Amino acid sequence: MKRSTLSLIIVAIILCAAPLLLAAAKIGDPAPAFTATASDGKTYKLADYRGKYVVLEWHNNGCPYVGKQYESGNMQKLQKQWTGKGVVWFTILSSAPGKQGFVTASDENAYITKMQAAPTAALLDPSGEIGHLYDAKTSPQMVVINPLGVVIYDGAIDDKPTTDLADVPGATNYVSLALEQSMAGKPVATPATRPYGCSVKYSDSSH
Amino acid sequence: MSVRKSHAGLPRAIISVAAALALSSIQARAAGTPIPHGTLELIAEKQWVAAGHPFNVALRFELEKGWHVYWVNPGDSGEPPRVTWDLSHGIKAGAIEWPAPRRLGASTIVDYGYEDGVTLIVPMRADANLSSQNPVQITASVKVLVCREMCIPGKAQVSLTLPVKLQSPPASAQSTQFFTEARKAWPRPAPASWKFSIAQTNDSFVLTANLGHKITGAIFFPLAESQVSNAAPQTLVTTGMGFTLTLRKSDQLLKPIARLKGVLVLSGEQPYSIDAPIGKPVATSPPGSK
Repeated sequence: MKRSTLSLIIVAIILCAAPLLLAAAKIGDPAPAFTATASDGKTYKLADYRGKYVVLEWHNNGCPYVGKQYESGNMQKLQKQWTGKGVVWFTILSSAPGKQGFVTASDENAYITKMQAAPTAALLDPSGEIGHLYDAKTSPQMVVINPLGVVIYDGAIDDKPTTDLADVPGATNYVSLALEQSMAGKPVATPATRPYGCSVKYSDSSH
Repeated sequence: MSVRKSHAGLPRAIISVAAALALSSIQARAAGTPIPHGTLELIAEKQWVAAGHPFNVALRFELEKGWHVYWVNPGDSGEPPRVTWDLSHGIKAGAIEWPAPRRLGASTIVDYGYEDGVTLIVPMRADANLSSQNPVQITASVKVLVCREMCIPGKAQVSLTLPVKLQSPPASAQSTQFFTEARKAWPRPAPASWKFSIAQTNDSFVLTANLGHKITGAIFFPLAESQVSNAAPQTLVTTGMGFTLTLRKSDQLLKPIARLKGVLVLSGEQPYSIDAPIGKPVATSPPGSK
């Protein structure tokens, strides 16, 4: 075997194994860096938003737990409320091609228009790379990153792990709590919760 | 809900036949009610209720191939079925007796649940002063999430009417097999001679079991969420007398816990319940403890 082929194979193995070797983002750790193409056609790099709060929202438009947040208007309200305060909000789509919840850029743009959603951008992650970097298990899993680039919240959107629209008004929203507490200079009281919802539909072959 | 409504215009004989059929069919087993990709039935183990004696009913989920519902701890995604009871006066419902689940899912996301169907037995109590004049009515309003690749939430209301008698009731022929099957999968307290201890490192719990015999496989199902990583491989090392099983801690476990409760499934054996303090060796939970 030629030396160059061998090194290519080694590089390929390392690339493939990297997301497994790197521990997933944990509370208090630096948020793993990523670059992604969004449904608006632009490229977004997490590193460009150092100095701002960043919210990551794992999304799947066919998931009833996501449906609960969007049909009630709660997710859109949160997006508008927090981006209005300078927070960067990335909706992330990690369903693999051929899997439930996979969308093209134009599908996602149509959804955003229809639902009047207001994220900063909807990042297309069909390889599941960003999902695996953050060990995203469910939609709607939520991550909050502080201006220093540190993960300060990872988990569920709220404390009502149901698909019932009626549960939205009385729920404690962990994302808003984390942002409010951190912006007030306080530690986040509930930094990690079980991220309830539908499983993220990664490609079967990705790791 | 009464089958004795008057139906003016229908010949009396037809009404009585129809009423008799309706009564016999609802006596021990309600008809399957549709839920997403399956049906739900409320079934009774015995033909009637004896005043002052406990009895069992069960929620029987039948699902299309490959669809699943969840255990009490659903794992990384999903949620368990939730039941609200509406019961005749003098009847009280106990907690669901969850059969041991299976690990469902791929490498990075693991759920705990039941594929293709499950029977969830619920113990009931009947007051001693129930009158045989009044059949008892048992209604369960169930919210359930049914998933395969995608998840569909469903709601169903299922009911059962059971006569009340003084004598102890015979088994219901249609239901017996479901109750027998369900009980095979129930976790039982492990034998008192078995010793379990749980030590911990920064990122793992290490369950050591001394059973007095060799085993070939072991899977632990944590009863509570957010204690053990669901997707992490459980590393089994067998010994002549038992095994050690290393369970990675959940990323959501931010405070120390004193005990680990769960279900242990050993290859070829019935499931056992474990409730052990973390730190020093102990026997398993006594019968009936949760």
